[in-house]
Amino acid sequence: MMSDQFRKVEQYSPKSSPRGARSPVVSRQDSSGTLKTTISLGKNPSIVHSGPFYLMKEPPGECELTGATNLMAYYGLEHSYSKFNGKKLKESLSSFLPNLPGIVDGPGQEDNSTLGSVIAKRPIGGKELLPLTSAQLAGFRLHPGPLPEQYRYVSATPPKRHKSKHKKHKHKDGAPPGQDTPLQDSSNQDSYKKTQKKQKRHDDDKERRKRKKEKKRKKQKHSPEHGGLTPSQHPVA
Amino acid sequence: MSSPLENLETQLEMFIENVRQIRIIVSDFQPQGQSVLNQKIQSLVTGLQEVDKLKSQVHDIHVPTEVFDYIDQGRNPQLYTKDCIDKALAKNEEVKGKIDSYKRFKSHLLQELSKTFPNEIAKYKAIRE
Repeated sequence: MMSDQFRKVEQYSPKSSPRGARSPVVSRQDSSGTLKTTISLGKNPSIVHSGPFYLMKEPPGECELTGATNLMAYYGLEHSYSKFNGKKLKESLSSFLPNLPGIVDGPGQEDNSTLGSVIAKRPIGGKELLPLTSAQLAGFRLHPGPLPEQYRYVSATPPKRHKSKHKKHKHKDGAPPGQDTPLQDSSNQDSYKKTQKKQKRHDDDKERRKRKKEKKRKKQKHSPEHGGLTPSQHPVA
Repeated sequence: MSSPLENLETQLEMFIENVRQIRIIVSDFQPQGQSVLNQKIQSLVTGLQEVDKLKSQVHDIHVPTEVFDYIDQGRNPQLYTKDCIDKALAKNEEVKGKIDSYKRFKSHLLQELSKTFPNEIAKYKAIRE
């Protein structure tokens, strides 16, 4: 029966229809007058009986997971959500990479160091990495002396924003990030000792001054000039 | 046993530290520093070899290119994650809102239609059930 219908549709397909855009005459089983079929034209014309209603289709299958579900909870990402939304994230890259030396917060375009450029222009790869020969190392023989001024900008350290108290625990070597620590441990210790000595001397001076002040005060108390003046009434020296 | 990402991170940190030390050596170069510098340059090559070895362990990790934009602008890449989470949550809520609205609309429509076309809606419900 279906094949008959198809043949009829083919007969009245738009290409060969002498009546132009008029609907093809298809015999209907239904005698009630209501349209029960869906007619599809095109390359594969078909007629589908779809019941007593217009445009009635099968409802889409029930999907287990839809937007009605709390997907954050479904995938167990609530922890990540609270982590990123609970506290205010710091904007700067250096707060994410605190151990990286140098200034990293500036835009990479300034010194052509963007990661985007690595993707856009891929570096040469696929070659074996070999240690340098002595002849190749000769190319790295340097002249003694400091670097010219224009190359020193990279050694500039970002200004400290936090108190060193907080950083103390973060860095095992005790040096804040981005600061140039001496390479040799002995020199490091020397400088540490020097600062310690300075601190000690400073403390000693303080104590000496205190003692002198006290002596002076005692003398003034016992001196005849001292007429029971309050400290604020003392003449400024 | 640390994860491949942790290994890579450690290697990269060591590499960066090596470069930092080379920078200090060359910034005020002393003649006796040449042998140390040569050692450091060789350890750079070793460091690159180590990073190269770890390549196979992280080949299945995909990073959205947008993260690179954040880094290139000197911004914290965690902000990207935060933005993604915020967007996903907003979309989730929006879709839930739409689904709920459609559900309410459907029940309201059926209710009203059954008042006007009780027979047809009864038939319709019979088909749907």
